[in-house]
Amino acid sequence: MGKIRPEDLEKIRERMARTINMREGDARARVTVHMGTCGIAAGARKIMSTLMDLVEERGIDDVVVTTSGCAGLCSREPMLTVELKGEAPVKYVDMDEDKTKSIFSEHIISGKVVKEYALAIGSERVG
Amino acid sequence: MSSNTGEKVGAVLVVGAGVGGMQASLDLAEAGYKVYLVDKGPSIGGVMAQLDKTFPTNDCAMCTLAPRMVDCGGHLNIEKLTYSEIESIEGEAGNFNVKIRKKARSVDPDKCTGCGECSEHCLVKNIVYLEPPAVPKIELEADDLSKVDEIIGRYSGGRESLLPILQSINTEFNWLPEGMLRRVAEIKQIPIEHILRLATFYKSFSLEPRGKHIVTVCTGTACHVKGAPRILERFERDLGIQTGQTTSDMQFTLEAVRCIGCCGLSPVITIGEDLYGKLSPAEAAKILERYRD
Amino acid sequence: MKSYRTNVMLCGGTGCVSNGAFKIKDALERELKKHNLENEVGVIMTGCNGFCAQGPVAVVKPDEIFYQLLKEEDAAHIVEEHFLKGRPVKELLYTPPAEKSPVPKMSDIGFFSKQRLIALRNRGMIDPEQIDEYIGRDGYKALAKVLTSMKSEEVIQEVSDSGLRGRGGAGFPTGRKWESRRKDPRTPKYIVCNADEGDPGAFMDRSIVEADPHSVIEGMIIGAYVVGASKGYVYIRMEYPLAVKRMRLAIEQAREYGLLGEDIFGTGFDFDIDIFQGAGAFVCGETTALVSSIEGRIPEPRQRPPRTTLWGKPVVINNVETWANVPAIINRGAKWFSSIGTETSKGTKVFSLAGDINNAGLVEVPMGITLREIVFDIGGGIPKGMEFKAVQTGGPSGGVIPASQLDLPVDYEQLNAAGSMMGSGGMIIMSRKSCMVDVARYFLEFLNDESCGKCTPCREGSGEMLRILERICQGEGRPEDLDTLEELGEAIREASLCGLGQSLPNPVLSSLEHFRDEYEAHINDKKCPAGVCKALITFTIDKEKCKGCRLCAKNCPQEAISGEAKEPHTIDQDKCIKCGVCLDACKFDAVLVA
Repeated sequence: MGKIRPEDLEKIRERMARTINMREGDARARVTVHMGTCGIAAGARKIMSTLMDLVEERGIDDVVVTTSGCAGLCSREPMLTVELKGEAPVKYVDMDEDKTKSIFSEHIISGKVVKEYALAIGSERVG
Repeated sequence: MSSNTGEKVGAVLVVGAGVGGMQASLDLAEAGYKVYLVDKGPSIGGVMAQLDKTFPTNDCAMCTLAPRMVDCGGHLNIEKLTYSEIESIEGEAGNFNVKIRKKARSVDPDKCTGCGECSEHCLVKNIVYLEPPAVPKIELEADDLSKVDEIIGRYSGGRESLLPILQSINTEFNWLPEGMLRRVAEIKQIPIEHILRLATFYKSFSLEPRGKHIVTVCTGTACHVKGAPRILERFERDLGIQTGQTTSDMQFTLEAVRCIGCCGLSPVITIGEDLYGKLSPAEAAKILERYRD
Repeated sequence: MKSYRTNVMLCGGTGCVSNGAFKIKDALERELKKHNLENEVGVIMTGCNGFCAQGPVAVVKPDEIFYQLLKEEDAAHIVEEHFLKGRPVKELLYTPPAEKSPVPKMSDIGFFSKQRLIALRNRGMIDPEQIDEYIGRDGYKALAKVLTSMKSEEVIQEVSDSGLRGRGGAGFPTGRKWESRRKDPRTPKYIVCNADEGDPGAFMDRSIVEADPHSVIEGMIIGAYVVGASKGYVYIRMEYPLAVKRMRLAIEQAREYGLLGEDIFGTGFDFDIDIFQGAGAFVCGETTALVSSIEGRIPEPRQRPPRTTLWGKPVVINNVETWANVPAIINRGAKWFSSIGTETSKGTKVFSLAGDINNAGLVEVPMGITLREIVFDIGGGIPKGMEFKAVQTGGPSGGVIPASQLDLPVDYEQLNAAGSMMGSGGMIIMSRKSCMVDVARYFLEFLNDESCGKCTPCREGSGEMLRILERICQGEGRPEDLDTLEELGEAIREASLCGLGQSLPNPVLSSLEHFRDEYEAHINDKKCPAGVCKALITFTIDKEKCKGCRLCAKNCPQEAISGEAKEPHTIDQDKCIKCGVCLDACKFDAVLVA
């Protein structure tokens, strides 16, 4: 890239937005794939890479994809928790690639909870 | 004692504002006399201000002189007439009439801060021409000479290029060999005295060959309170040298440095480019051993 | 630019690098590859994170999990547990001194939560070697705004309204400095960034340059535009090789983007920056000495007025931290900046905490915060719960502030009133293990060494004060010495030309004021209460505690320790050189210092 103009700054910023937003953790939606031993055994890695691809494909920069440990419901793995900013987290169970895709477009993008795959809304009380 | 030649005046004229004249003026002024201190030079202080030490005690000349200059300069009973000469003296003891010529200074002494900018900018300079001293022949290996020339060639400009040049030589050779400094002086047409002044002013330059490994112990404040002096002592003992010296096998040079900005890890040492922190003297000694051939 | 689901922000400051940060980076990348995670998890080297005492440190984003004291071997564990299974590795989390269980989140750790970042706004958030990352966090936005839509006067008004004052120590209002240089008709004009951070115990300038060099460059370009300068210098100490490297890289990148050089942003404004490396002289931090150094003259301070010039032309010299604040003020407005801080001191200040403190490191706090908050809430108090004795602020020319003044709000005026100063922001915390006489002696030794020698009172006076202090530390102090010290101190303060000489007696005078009893103990009782001054202490072995492990005897360089195995040992006082090796070697606290 050669010499830049003020308007080019904005372009670089847009290009960097996803990287920066990811680090700040200040995103509209947060998707957690539960990757305990059981989750991985049940195929959570596949779910994770599907999500990563979707994010990449659509150039989305306000969704954080992260991992956490076993959610304690090993029989229903792979599991996914979707948390939109300001809303209660929703847990999805028995995930596969197609379900992930539909949850991604319906819940994460459009904000509608996919009731048929959802296990519960809200999280456990801690402490 | 009374006298019939009119009233005596409570004022004294002191001629010459060297250290003797100043002391006399101060004593008189303290005793309550009004003193006129005349000197033909533009400043008080006289010859002593040009001396380093005075015979026979080797006392610091400036230390003797400076307090008297300050006292004289500020004393309300002393009127200083510098850059002035006496033209005539008439009258008798107790009642003199003195005519003093005050030369034009063309500077308002009330406003002048003595910054020296004007003399630097003045186009007329009183330069004393002397036979140039014999310049010793530069003794350098052909290799070193071409390297030095290459370094000098990297930086254009006059005096402002000196520091980068010295730094590059110091980095390349670990010290500043005399021949190289002379070469810099020759090419840049800068007196070797000025180069030496710079080389001795800054801490990072060495005028002696240094060892293969340069061991520095940070003695910044944080390291000091966390025990850096004890590490330094330990190294001095282990290497058998004092701080600033190099071992006889040219392996190690031990130096103390003021803060390398790693205070969170204090006490810190560096050996060459490697940095080690949070050390006890014993741990530091172990690390040092690793660098021995 | 690839984006990752997880970013490991590994600290690449001097401290962490020296403890193997690069090796950890390689190990992490190796492990990530092994688990096919290299496209999901990125490892980014950032500038100094500030929490140097726990280095090497890393923050995992976006979860904000804070890892400390990392080792190469930990990489496999972290990747397997955290990045694959999403379980933070407990053993590598930070546990505050007063608590038992670790605190995983960075924002929950006291050291970080009380800080407010302006000058350090990008620390740990970006890779300082990538200009795009800086731009991604609103970098060079302020410059674009200034160049395309603001007049010089407006920028100066904004900076003046913000109340920004020089962060190098003296606290001169930045806006006023710029205004006077702008009005100066002489050209060309110069901009200098003073990164000759000579104060032992201060490292914020190094850290800012290492973590966010572009913020300094952007500030300098804005300053240059305002006063009409065409050339700038960054004067960096040679003791900071990493900072020099990062700054050089940043300048190159900025040139490539046309942010430095001719016709910046196509506005016709030209400005370029060069690096000038110092060569190890404390006095070069003084502005007149600094310009002499750049000019290739002997760096001795000069009389002011007239105003400092570079090659006889106007020059704006500001400290690193001051420059780094400028873009933030332009972006967020003077009103926002001036809402932080106290009546006379606005914004934040970066302090480096060092000495006897748990969380040594770099902190940025709003002006007006109390010393107590800095030392205890952020600094985590004194190791092993020892009593706080004093804090030295403002570097060697500052003064000590005793425990009784812990509730002092920190700003320029309050520190001056307490007999110390803001200085560049070094804070050395001292516990009962620090001897105030020794510390004063240490500072005088430093200042005597660094005095350029131009003014007699400073050159000779510092030597004389040092001789007296050395005598006191040797146990040969005389009762009249304390009065002599005070008298000398006053004279040096009055009669020196530059700041170095004028503030040189501060450490002695302020410690004499607050800790006169310690001086008297050295002189009258021939005792060093802190157990530091060698001539006044003896090492003995506590017969009750000694287990006879022979460790001390083995380590003693003088073979001064004798005793059978499993029997209490004794130290032969005639042979002992008081090196303290036995004290370090003993695992049972059986070596006593008195």
